[in-house]
Amino acid sequence: MKGFRLDRLPGLAVLSAPLVWAVLFLFIPYLIIFTYSFWLKKYPTFIPAFQFGNYAQIFADPQYYQVLLRTGKIALMVTGLSLLLAYPFAYFLVFKVKSSRVRSLLYMAVIAPLWVSYLLRAYIWKTILGSEGVLNSFLVWTGILSAPTDLLLYNQFSMVVTLTYIFIPFMVMPIFTALEKIPRNLVEAAGDLGVPPWGTLAKVIWPLSLPGVIAGATFTFCLTFGDFIAPMLVGGPDGVMIANVITSQYGAALNWPLGSALAVVLLIIVLVIIELSDRLQRKDRIGLG
Amino acid sequence: MKTTFVGKMSAALVALGLTAGPAFADGQVNILTWEGYADPSFIKQFETESGCKVSATYVGSNDDFAPKLAAGGSVYDIITPSLDTTYTMVDAGFVEPLDTSKITEWNNIYEKFRKSAGINKDGVTYGMPYAWGAIAFMYRVDKFPTPPTSIADLWNEQYKGKVSLWDDKSAIYVAARLEGNTNIYELNDAQIEQAKQKLIAQKPLIRKYWATAGELVDLYVAGEVWISNTWAGYQSAQIKAKGIDVKEFIPKENAEGWLDSWMIVKDTPNKDCVYKFLNMQSSELGQCGVANVNGYSAANPIAAKKCMKPEQYDALHQDDPAYLDSLMLWRNLGARLEAYTNAWNAVKAAN
Repeated sequence: MKGFRLDRLPGLAVLSAPLVWAVLFLFIPYLIIFTYSFWLKKYPTFIPAFQFGNYAQIFADPQYYQVLLRTGKIALMVTGLSLLLAYPFAYFLVFKVKSSRVRSLLYMAVIAPLWVSYLLRAYIWKTILGSEGVLNSFLVWTGILSAPTDLLLYNQFSMVVTLTYIFIPFMVMPIFTALEKIPRNLVEAAGDLGVPPWGTLAKVIWPLSLPGVIAGATFTFCLTFGDFIAPMLVGGPDGVMIANVITSQYGAALNWPLGSALAVVLLIIVLVIIELSDRLQRKDRIGLG
Repeated sequence: MKTTFVGKMSAALVALGLTAGPAFADGQVNILTWEGYADPSFIKQFETESGCKVSATYVGSNDDFAPKLAAGGSVYDIITPSLDTTYTMVDAGFVEPLDTSKITEWNNIYEKFRKSAGINKDGVTYGMPYAWGAIAFMYRVDKFPTPPTSIADLWNEQYKGKVSLWDDKSAIYVAARLEGNTNIYELNDAQIEQAKQKLIAQKPLIRKYWATAGELVDLYVAGEVWISNTWAGYQSAQIKAKGIDVKEFIPKENAEGWLDSWMIVKDTPNKDCVYKFLNMQSSELGQCGVANVNGYSAANPIAAKKCMKPEQYDALHQDDPAYLDSLMLWRNLGARLEAYTNAWNAVKAAN
């Protein structure tokens, strides 16, 4: 081998493990799914083929783009709600909390749920939002409602609430980091020049924290977009998302070709979003010298 | 045999992780089945007597069998699909012929079941009938002053938000019957479309489609659902045990019937234990086992008679061929399955 040097071996060994991992468990599976997406459904299972029928079906049959649109809508709502909650919280932590101990304690409070099983966290919302759940019992007890309402669980509302709760740490973390990196003297300078606090937020802090916001929004959007547990646990009859459709194509319908084509479409959407977000972040990055 | 790198890797992983357990028993049998079909209440005795260790994995729907077997890996030795799925297993080459001469009680099983088209192909038998029942309907007694008698009650605005339906292609069967189409296993495209529209119209009334037996139980216990379809015998008993009074009924539009059969996965290495297991399941131990645990009817009435009290025997319609004949026994849909599942998926996807 030309240019091979023995002293590079340890370095290669260190690199090869993740490389083998990526090839074996990411690249090859993607390739397999991509191949399947051109196969043909034929009773009792499916047969190898090269045709675009599965992709054509996705765009011809309204049920697929309906679900894609709904998934996008839910993901947007979760992202928006997470941002509305996470930004003020991160701002409060970075600029208002003086004690660093209190700050890390509050920060950990947001991160800690990540260590609890996803399923458990989603399941808990059933207990809270159910017809005879904690929230309904409370509302009836206080007299706000005369009878328990069905409106809290098994619909898109409960899905957005649950998903926001589950994915909000991914919004808080990058925003917190971005805000923390903003040099305080910039904020002070804005104050010295007579800019009111709201102006400082809008003209100094917000633009400087945009990369964090974009990163957080990308995380929450993509994680929600591919979620299939929340629709199963707290979603109602109108809560099917794209990942559920893929699951049912692989399972009930035994139509792996169509399931694979849907997975490829989902993958492309997510990759496009990540690419766009990457470009936006680069564009918005303001050099602080 | 050429061993691939991946093969070697996975063999090594298996050797690392899975040596404990079954290897210590004389033999083993790995089953993919419904909850209750491998209940310790009767499986423990079998394990001691036969020396075969039983490992069970559970499914929530008939549609789970094919994907698990299609994924390969020869993990399972026997499976228990229902009559709508058995023939697909045969057609797909997932299962092998059954040597009925090795099953002592074979001729005691209801003839209608033994001869059913779902488990026989070209004169060869592929399945051993085990348990059967109805997809009945169920309601909360305290919420219905007049007991419901029709499928139409699941479309009644009065129960908005309190209705549930099994998340399964059988929802199409239910809606088709409501539309007056009784040929539910041979619906044409127009009739399937009609059923689909009916189900979409019902969506605002639906609280949640139930996906597993346990989920429906939870929905009733949490007060979310008052009326639904059900695997007769099983869920109602669990709900009642939790203090909610429910009652099953066969609507005037009739109910579907199901039958589960044991099928042997192709090329299983554990044949000895498999046949010991099948003999146990078709005898008193297995037949009364499933009747007691799940509340399902037994496929072998002779064995059932020996171990059931007369009331139970009666309640499970073991002596009542007319009941069985009255049910619309599930059938394999063959190539039409796609049209049914597609319609059901469209219902779930609709806004």
